[in-house]
Amino acid sequence: MYNSRRLALYHYWVAFAVFLPAVMLGAWQMLMRSPLPAPLDDPNAYYASVTLHGTAMAYVVTTFFAMGFGYAVTATSLGRPIRGIIAAWIGFVICLTGTLMAVAAVLSGKASVLYTFYPPLLGSGWYYSGATLLIGGSMIWVVLMIVNMAAWKRDNPGKPVPLAMFAITATAVLWAWSASGVELEMVGVVLPRVFGLTVQMDPGLARTLFSVTLHSIVYFWLMPAYIAFYTLVPQAAGGRLYSDTMGRLTFIMFLLFATPVGIHHLFADPEIGAGFKFVQSFLTFLVALPTLLTVFSICASLEIAGRHRGGKGLLGWIPALPWDEPMILAVGLSLVMLGFGGGGGLINMAYDMNSMIHNTSWIPAHFHLIFGGAIVIMYFAIAYEMWPRITGKPLCSKRLARWQLWLWFVGMFVTTIPWHITGLMGQPRRVAIFDYSDPLLAPMAPLVVISVIGAFILLLSAILLITILVRSQLGDSVLQAPLRYALAVNPPVKVPSALNGFALWNTILLMFMIVEYGYPIGQFFILKSSVPAYEVTRHSTAAGVQ
Amino acid sequence: MARDQGAFKLDHPWSRIGWISFAVIIFASYLLGFVLLSRYRQNDEALDIWSAICRGLGIAFDSGPAASARPPLHTPTTIAWTQATLNQIHAGDAQHGGFVALNCAACHEGSAANPAHLIPTLDGMEPEVIFKQLADYRSGKRSWGVMNAIAKALSIQDSADVGAYFASRTGQLLPNSGERVPQGGRGFWQSDTGARLVFAGDPKRGIAPCSACHGPGGYKVGAPTLAGQYPAYIERQLASFAQGIRHNDIYEQMRAIARQLTPDEMQAVAAFYGSQGRQLAAKN
Repeated sequence: MYNSRRLALYHYWVAFAVFLPAVMLGAWQMLMRSPLPAPLDDPNAYYASVTLHGTAMAYVVTTFFAMGFGYAVTATSLGRPIRGIIAAWIGFVICLTGTLMAVAAVLSGKASVLYTFYPPLLGSGWYYSGATLLIGGSMIWVVLMIVNMAAWKRDNPGKPVPLAMFAITATAVLWAWSASGVELEMVGVVLPRVFGLTVQMDPGLARTLFSVTLHSIVYFWLMPAYIAFYTLVPQAAGGRLYSDTMGRLTFIMFLLFATPVGIHHLFADPEIGAGFKFVQSFLTFLVALPTLLTVFSICASLEIAGRHRGGKGLLGWIPALPWDEPMILAVGLSLVMLGFGGGGGLINMAYDMNSMIHNTSWIPAHFHLIFGGAIVIMYFAIAYEMWPRITGKPLCSKRLARWQLWLWFVGMFVTTIPWHITGLMGQPRRVAIFDYSDPLLAPMAPLVVISVIGAFILLLSAILLITILVRSQLGDSVLQAPLRYALAVNPPVKVPSALNGFALWNTILLMFMIVEYGYPIGQFFILKSSVPAYEVTRHSTAAGVQ
Repeated sequence: MARDQGAFKLDHPWSRIGWISFAVIIFASYLLGFVLLSRYRQNDEALDIWSAICRGLGIAFDSGPAASARPPLHTPTTIAWTQATLNQIHAGDAQHGGFVALNCAACHEGSAANPAHLIPTLDGMEPEVIFKQLADYRSGKRSWGVMNAIAKALSIQDSADVGAYFASRTGQLLPNSGERVPQGGRGFWQSDTGARLVFAGDPKRGIAPCSACHGPGGYKVGAPTLAGQYPAYIERQLASFAQGIRHNDIYEQMRAIARQLTPDEMQAVAAFYGSQGRQLAAKN
């Protein structure tokens, strides 16, 4: 792991240290929404908690995890030390500072604006500055990924970049495109108002800019899981990757189609014309392509491994797979959750069906199943795979790890399936208190109670995760096999330059962004639809509605 | 990555695939989104292509300021539920109200002048309701037979007094208990149409449960209690709201709801409320 060992470990630990309390907040929020009595029964605390849970999970855990994973992948896949290690540590410190600023602001109760910010809501400047620093600091990581890949290509002319490195650089480039939206929103709309340079804010402009981030950030979260699908899963299964080219195409397609589709989060926004809503809805369906490609090539890779291990017949290769390996178990569970979550996603992205579930609890149910479930379970598997390599100490118990993964899987379904159903029944999201004695809401009550049970299963699983990681780290050092990435059935000898870099695809993406976002963003400079800000800092958080 | 220059040449196969896919995707989605789908909208005529593109962009050419003059502002009532109004109503003198109510008794109490029960019973009615309806009759916001002339003859103090008088009496109307705990048989699965609409409404059509404002259970100021009211009167009022003949409901909530109801549903709701008070009266 060369010089990336400590760097990766620190990033992972920040991610998981934030993860556990954020899961606790989530479980409490579910309890708060339910008919059951919840401790600290205060709606203001609920909104602060939603803000903190969202900020922690969407920005902190994922960014730190992706950065740590990126550094580990760079060193191991290129087989040489990382360049710019000092810059990497500076980035780590900036991101950590930003995180602490944002967390402190939310805990003080003066930034309950939800992690999607929602101007004209206006919270504490510390929160926005912290979020800007965290996201801005991660741009150092983006640059380092690109620099390391470019340097390797310079030193190895004509050779194909290893798929893992190609994919993590695609992730970095995607994150740079994605983060541009929220950074522009912060710098252009929110921070000027925070610092008193402007009097009003334009919520339409802010939301449109944020929509650039809002969907592609999901793919930034998802990419580490997909990198594991392509480069770690076939190896853990004892087989080979079905196709290296398919992997490259998948990551290129994610880069192209993840960003110019964010307006499907704005289907109910009046400023955006119906034409753009349709066009971006249309493009959103194209994101299914790389996912279907991945499901196909991962199943093919697993079949290769299963048959190699002696599996016979049409489906005999499935039981022949090493299901006791956490990585293989995780990919199986992940694909099931991806199937259900993806099906729900098709409804969200459809321009007409979306209105049925707009702003209902269907939405959090969907993204918890697909992100909290399908993707985060792969984060666990990656951690179990990486931990022994980083610390030099073996995983304390594979059996406990399997228990943890199963609990997460079951907990996520028990939480999200009733949550989807209450969404269809019309339960709004982001509401702290429901009067379940109302005949309209009464039928939802038992479903919400089931979700609460699921939330506590998830909490149990998260506690188990931290226990496994801590116990492993406190164990004895044993010589570990180095991290190996899966070889392709036909290892690439020479790949076209287009599949070995991102210049072409960045140019095409730039054109997509101009065509898809030029008018929707530009129109606000003519519309001038700014409104006065609504300051949440002025409202006391102590006086709860009891 | 500066070594990918070859990728920009169009004769490079991946470059060609990339740019052709880009062009096809953009062309197809724009054609569908701006030229085809934006032309059509439910209950609207199809637009020409230029207008369709404008609609697709979000330029509201068809919802801008109309050439004709704006319709005059219509306020449904002159009453606002301010603290001052409520204080005035609650200061009503029931004794003097009883004297004023001698004018009312002929139609509202006897059945000789009210054979079809199209005139409501008022014993036990909330004082706010009587005060507001008299004000609306006085200002012409509501019209019905002799009521406008009678209301004009009454002073504002008389209205408050007569409201206090009727509120103090007990009759077939079910008093507001304020009880909020739901009982069994009040959900969507209720087979009786009237009871279902009263307790659960119909969210798919935007119909709020009647009981949320008119009881039993929920009460809103200005909404009359209905349990025990004559079914014929309730049904007639629902029909009047639906047709816009009666339009003194603040925020148009009764017009919005009544328009959604079928005649059978109006009858069912009216019958349900009619049956409620009599049952209670029988128990007493």
